[in-house]
Amino acid sequence: MTKNEFLSKLADELRNNNVSDADEIISEYEQHFAFKMADGFSEEEIAAKLGDPAAVAAQFESDADSRKSGGGGRKAITVIGLCFIDIFAGAFFALLFAWELVMIAFSVCSAVVSVCLFVNISPWAIIPPMPPLPGVVFGVSMASLSVLSVTGSIYFAALIRQLMRSYGRFHQNSIAIASGKAVLPSLSVYPRLPAKANRRIRNVAVFALVLFTAFIVLGAIISIISSGALEFWHAWGWFGYAG
Amino acid sequence: MNIQYKKGVLELCVLSLLKKHDCYGYEISEYLSTHIDIADGTVYPILRKLKSEGILTTYMQEESGGPPRKYYSLTKLGREVYEKERAEYLDFAKKVEALLEDDSDD
Repeated sequence: MTKNEFLSKLADELRNNNVSDADEIISEYEQHFAFKMADGFSEEEIAAKLGDPAAVAAQFESDADSRKSGGGGRKAITVIGLCFIDIFAGAFFALLFAWELVMIAFSVCSAVVSVCLFVNISPWAIIPPMPPLPGVVFGVSMASLSVLSVTGSIYFAALIRQLMRSYGRFHQNSIAIASGKAVLPSLSVYPRLPAKANRRIRNVAVFALVLFTAFIVLGAIISIISSGALEFWHAWGWFGYAG
Repeated sequence: MNIQYKKGVLELCVLSLLKKHDCYGYEISEYLSTHIDIADGTVYPILRKLKSEGILTTYMQEESGGPPRKYYSLTKLGREVYEKERAEYLDFAKKVEALLEDDSDD
């Protein structure tokens, strides 16, 4: 079989099998012949090695194969279903974003309180009166709490991002299935941070938690000793009266 | 070796080659047949399938002294699919190997 015979037979078979863009496929085999001939093979040898054109053509998926689950109706139902799911998912994501904002606000507030305790000022009297030493100790615990909250909001932000990506992929795949297109691998729900960053965040969080607990206990002990009362908040008149 | 068995793995080999650099069809065909015993022209249907799945994309590039060649290149999705399937295959192959090596009669 010569090159032309092979290619025209292949083109016929592809057309019979209902394969789209047959020209593109033919040009690929034309190139194959060109390269092999440059290497010194004869047209007959090359065609023989490629095999029977009918068998070659059978390896290409026809349009009917790749779009077997088509049908506009199915796609429409999927889209409507996804819209309903979107309403709930949207509310869920709004809730997650709100929680992220709360965490960020909490970090900022703890940081501000900690600074106030360190420099011993009390704007608008938000910080209850206490001697400088317990103030500094409580200041350290509030600073740790702020760091803990910051690590929490970083991880949570990563979680939201990954959840949204994963949900987007689910969306894409649902439509792809309904219209008979290729399905992409689904994405994990949990954020996969680089191992090093993951370890660092965890270490910082654990360290901040330990520091926070230790200094809040220490602050209470120092307050009890320096005020001379177990209920030091009464001794310092935190709630408007001195005990 | 079993042809059906080889075909699935062939896809992975094509992706691994394209991850290194873009190639034209014949280049891929020749590269694979030097490493694995496959019939000529086996890769072309695979390339077309991968392209229709959005894993590969093609572009034409002028060559000195010849018609323009069609180059295949991995898409972003293709990279993702490759990394996932590669990990799955290696894990699977490791387990199979462990099973087959342990064929002592006890």
